[in-house]
Amino acid sequence: MTDHAWSELAAPYALGAVAPDERERFEAHLAECAACRGEVGAFREVTALLPDAAPAATPPAGLRDRILREARQARPIGRGRAPVIPWLAAAASLVLAVGLGYGYLRARAALQQASAALAARTDSLGARDSLIATLLSPDVGTAALAATGQAPSARLYWSPSRRRVVMAVFRLPPAPAGRTYQLWAIAQGKPVSLGVFNTAADGRLTAAMQLPPGLTFELTAVTEEPAGGSPQPTQQPFLIGKVTPAD
Amino acid sequence: MVGGDERALGDLYDRHGEMAYSLALAVARERADAEEIVADAFGQVWRNAASYDPGRGSVAGWLATITRTRALDLVRARGRRVRAIERAAQADSTGLASPMGAPADPPDLRIERGEARRLVARSLGDLPEPQRRVIELAYFGGLSQSEIAAELQEPLGTVKTRMRAGMEKLRGALAPLLSGGGP
Repeated sequence: MTDHAWSELAAPYALGAVAPDERERFEAHLAECAACRGEVGAFREVTALLPDAAPAATPPAGLRDRILREARQARPIGRGRAPVIPWLAAAASLVLAVGLGYGYLRARAALQQASAALAARTDSLGARDSLIATLLSPDVGTAALAATGQAPSARLYWSPSRRRVVMAVFRLPPAPAGRTYQLWAIAQGKPVSLGVFNTAADGRLTAAMQLPPGLTFELTAVTEEPAGGSPQPTQQPFLIGKVTPAD
Repeated sequence: MVGGDERALGDLYDRHGEMAYSLALAVARERADAEEIVADAFGQVWRNAASYDPGRGSVAGWLATITRTRALDLVRARGRRVRAIERAAQADSTGLASPMGAPADPPDLRIERGEARRLVARSLGDLPEPQRRVIELAYFGGLSQSEIAAELQEPLGTVKTRMRAGMEKLRGALAPLLSGGGP
């Protein structure tokens, strides 16, 4: 397919109207073509306005109260009483910086800003504090996980001293029903599970996991496993990354 | 602090609840379903707020994506997809963009928001009907290009051409609302 033909897929792709096999090939092309990414970005903005074309309808009067009531019963991931909406900005700056490939130093600068902003909220650290601390700790190591012939990618940060791993995953469709993704550390050739995860509908995830004490590893990898995870990988990893130790 | 967090969720609803509900209703076509969809979508936003990425768009865009996905899932699960498609295909010349006798925007909505909505509705309504229809079937009906071709009994190439042409026109018409100021 010529580059021009590829660009013709940008509009239907942004509308979600490209068939799955063609979509996969286009996403592989997108990973390498800034012009097409720009076109997709522009058409995504157009698509994002389409809800405004829906005939205006007034929600039922009790819906707002119901949403707030249900929110009180289902606390966000992490500490039970952690405020999450303000945390959006901090988490986002991590994903944004990493997603654009600015590299670790940019990510760290963005996180330091986010961290400073958060520090003002002395009553609201907890799980998020731990995540940022992991990223900012002096012994932090990183690994970029790339796929073989597929679009998804992931980036890991971990701190041995804090025994925490933070992972950011991109362009990975949610695992099918009854399946899950599992993150492995490969230590002396042996896989050690770091935990299971799944991505959101948009193919993304930012999550923090525990690092077993004393574990050092050279490679990290992601496999798809039955729900609940496996003691050992049951298939070849589709994402794999070599470790870059702390500098 | 929990109160402050819930206030943020309440603010999000006040700003975008009507958009989400209108979108859910346009896809699912049943008010009771639209209510469930919107409650679920805000619940998902609440639980997964940490995965929000402004690099990929506004909070409203994120909420709209979640709402649309949930609405399409529900319609598919109930096998109502065909009906929704039929209705969209049988819609009059102004199609989904026409008001369905719904109440007007409440007066407290910000003016620019109302203007943006009118521009979007008008721009879609101004498209040649075949172009508008394929875009609506894709966005509100969740159909792929080949499914649209089958539905309309048109060649796939025709559907592709119409979709591209319609989206290009929308991009031009909506340039004032886009970050790049248009093509």
